[in-house]
Amino acid sequence: MRDESSFLQPLGAALKSLILVAGAFIMVFPFIWMIIASLMTAGEIQLRPPVWLPAEPQFHNYTELPQKIPIARLYFNSLFTSALIVFGVLLSSSLAGFAFAKYRFPGREFLFYLILATMMIPFFVTLIPVFFIVRQLGWIDTYQGLVVPGLTSAYGIFLMRQFIITLPDELIDAARIDGASELRIFWRIIVPLVKPALATLGTFTFIGAWNNFLWPLLVLNSRELMTLPLGINSMKSLYADNTNLLMAGTAVAVLPMLIVFIFLQRYFIQGIALTGLKG
Amino acid sequence: MIRVASLGGKQAWLPDIPKTPLMRRRMLWAYAFVAAPVIALVVFLLGPILFSGWVSLHRWDMLSPVNEMPWRGLSNYSYLLGKDPVFIKSLRNTFYFAIGGVGANTILGLGFALLLNSPLRGRAIWRVLYFMPVITAPLALAVMFSFIFDRNFGVVNNIITGLGLPRQPFLSGPNQALLTLVFIAVYQYIGYYIVIFLAGLQGIPQDYYDAAQVDGAGRIQEFRYITLPLLRPVMLFVVVTNTIGALQVFDLVFATTGGAPANSSMTVVLHMYNTAFKFSRMGRASAMAFILFAIIMLITIAQVRLLQDRAYGD
Repeated sequence: MRDESSFLQPLGAALKSLILVAGAFIMVFPFIWMIIASLMTAGEIQLRPPVWLPAEPQFHNYTELPQKIPIARLYFNSLFTSALIVFGVLLSSSLAGFAFAKYRFPGREFLFYLILATMMIPFFVTLIPVFFIVRQLGWIDTYQGLVVPGLTSAYGIFLMRQFIITLPDELIDAARIDGASELRIFWRIIVPLVKPALATLGTFTFIGAWNNFLWPLLVLNSRELMTLPLGINSMKSLYADNTNLLMAGTAVAVLPMLIVFIFLQRYFIQGIALTGLKG
Repeated sequence: MIRVASLGGKQAWLPDIPKTPLMRRRMLWAYAFVAAPVIALVVFLLGPILFSGWVSLHRWDMLSPVNEMPWRGLSNYSYLLGKDPVFIKSLRNTFYFAIGGVGANTILGLGFALLLNSPLRGRAIWRVLYFMPVITAPLALAVMFSFIFDRNFGVVNNIITGLGLPRQPFLSGPNQALLTLVFIAVYQYIGYYIVIFLAGLQGIPQDYYDAAQVDGAGRIQEFRYITLPLLRPVMLFVVVTNTIGALQVFDLVFATTGGAPANSSMTVVLHMYNTAFKFSRMGRASAMAFILFAIIMLITIAQVRLLQDRAYGD
């Protein structure tokens, strides 16, 4: 034990807790304020001097939302398109990662370096051409226009290859001796062993797709296809004068995801350590 | 850490074509496994980046046929760098935004990670609280903070005026908009960097600290001579990824200020978006994208050199 620490310990610990509490308060406050404001009347938000709580919680701010905004539809669109993207990325990344890790074929190194090179291309450089391609295909304002460009991920292929390459070859050889087909080896041996990596990749792909704004903004026009971020964006103008309703709408768009996160937070955070610091 | 792990075995670009039918069949399976993703990456990434470079040398509104684009040489680039004050301003703003955000995220992220790394009750709860904004849609945060920093009805101004201080414009002030955006961006991502730093700190063996204490090292010496050097790879990751992300900021600016007032918070990607999809100047917008891409590459290379040399500099 240190000498100085026994003397300064209580003081340091108190200061530490104070900083952590202050930081956490700042982090949570915007969410709390969103909920409080969502329960106020439009007048209460503009009162001078300001009020900190609604005189009476206006729950009808929430119950009236679906008349103006197709909340269920927004949720369906976001879930449906994000799920397709996650499925595509997981399947394509693990299949290609498997091939790059465990097969020898002419052009393997070349193709793999090609994929590594594309990992460094930022989205904004390809935005205009991809938009053009999607338009030429007649996919503007369709689900496939939103989903198809996101079905593969160079990063995902790289990540899965790095995981699969650590698996012993003997497992695959043994399965081959037993007469298993290549697809069966992939499905029965590889996939179960890389489940943690798939969970991580899936989680982050999902969050990315779920929160994506710029691409859906460009591709989608009609209300029926809008995803949640587009819904929030259109509420901004719809409720420009009713901040209470805007906050209610935003809360409905954001809170369910946060609740899911709180239950699954362990996996999220393990996943970050896994992907951020590996490879 | 960002280094690419070696491909293992011989670095043969074209290994021999397998002789036996069985091996050839396996090879065909491998091609089948990689075919779809490789085609998709060529169609949606490699092809587009080449096309984008080509477009940046032309004048194009996306409606006229591709083979009839009038050639403009490098004039899009020279216009942007010489005659487009908004582009220069957006570059300056973007740098400011990135430097402010990366600096604050790195220092605060490491600071909070150090606080959370020591024995603490309910660490999971702290992590959840700090991590909430990371998984929230940037657009939702933009809406929340537009209200919080509102000039007239925002809660921050309510507090400030309650204390008898003058009302601040924040997002609507030419001198404050960008700084407010930096604050929101730090708020949004700090939890992510705390978790990364925390993982890095937990990867440092306790033995080093024990040995240092035997030698009579103090806390500051421990931090200076053990924690910081061993954290260099993590630091590199944080600085590089955060810089790359910050230089591409779009959602947050689009949904709060839209670049206003008077372009004081205009960023490069937002300016590019407007140029392309509001004014249909695809050539000029593509040139913008390439200039920013080149800048990002140069900065990344410089950062990797700077931080990695010292980490492995023996």
